[in-house]
Amino acid sequence: MADGHHGHHIVPLKILWGVFGGLIFLTIITVITAKQVDLGPLNLPLALVIAGTKATLVVTFFMALKWDNRVNLLIFSLGFIFVIVFLSFTLFDTSFRGDMSNAEENYISDQERIEQQLLERQERLEQGLPLDVEEEEPADAGHGDDHGDDGH
Amino acid sequence: MSTTIASTEHDTQGGHGASHDDHPAFLQHHFVNADQQFDAAKMGMWLFLITEILLFSGMFVAYTVYRAWHPEVFLEASTLLDWKLGGLNTLVLLASSLTVALSIHYIQKGNQAALFWNLLITILLACVFLVVKYFEYMAKFEHGIFAGEGFDPHGVSHGVDYAKYNIPYAKQFFSIYFIMTGIHGFHVIVGIILMTWLLVKARLGHFSAAWYTPVELTGLYWHIVDIIWIFLFPLMYLI
Repeated sequence: MADGHHGHHIVPLKILWGVFGGLIFLTIITVITAKQVDLGPLNLPLALVIAGTKATLVVTFFMALKWDNRVNLLIFSLGFIFVIVFLSFTLFDTSFRGDMSNAEENYISDQERIEQQLLERQERLEQGLPLDVEEEEPADAGHGDDHGDDGH
Repeated sequence: MSTTIASTEHDTQGGHGASHDDHPAFLQHHFVNADQQFDAAKMGMWLFLITEILLFSGMFVAYTVYRAWHPEVFLEASTLLDWKLGGLNTLVLLASSLTVALSIHYIQKGNQAALFWNLLITILLACVFLVVKYFEYMAKFEHGIFAGEGFDPHGVSHGVDYAKYNIPYAKQFFSIYFIMTGIHGFHVIVGIILMTWLLVKARLGHFSAAWYTPVELTGLYWHIVDIIWIFLFPLMYLI
């Protein structure tokens, strides 16, 4: 063990209990900041930073990645990078829908509204209720289809 | 033949504890020595854990996208979840992570009794987590809070008017909540099964300071289950 054999490092009790104390402390902090402190839009990033810190503590000390074979750190880091890629590239799409010049304003909200109406219509059909909004629906649906064609 | 290779390896490394003729029963013939076998198993576990993280990241991405689209709905819907129960479960899981880390610490020192007791406490804490989750789920089901098409909030309890939460996209929030915590809960159940198996083996004295690979790997798995919850708790219950 002492001669550099990884995987068999014994994490001292002091560190294990210390990390546990830190995790409890951060849990209390995240509850207080989320419930008592109004930071507006910053509450979400703050909670994520605290959660990230807690996760780092667990990975580093409880999972002993600090003393582990470096290849495991590489595997973990690669996985983490791909999570970031997954998240950010998805948001590149979803956050900017309707912003492109080939899509008119409210394109997405139009579609959402139509979808909502269709769902309500389906509900009414299921419940055997009369379809009150039948007059306005074809117009809206046609509106949506036009945009759909533009997109192709 | 494997013995020959193992011996050669020990010679080149100048020997580290094990004698040249010593070929432990747990060492499979295709590994050079116990350390290599341990490292290979652990690396395999890390690869598996990455697939676990990617599995959950898909759901976290779904959460992020829907939240980015309808932040106000997510904020309002999350108030329906009981952050005290979520917080309690966070503490329970953190404590279980500590005990599983302690169980590895003690078996590395050859303390089989401490391994047994720490595993037992971990299993009990995992059960507490599931019981709390059960009551949380039941309180939601009673008032028509389901994942997917069954979503139909109604009724009043503890001064909360559930019908008030029948707003567009609240269904998406609760669907994501139930799917994520449900799959997480399934992982907790798998963890309990694994640790019960470890507990039996620990009782039978199968583990020692020289060989405790299953404890180490299950411990890693359990910490990942904990980490997932570390993110689920603030995202679902707090903000």
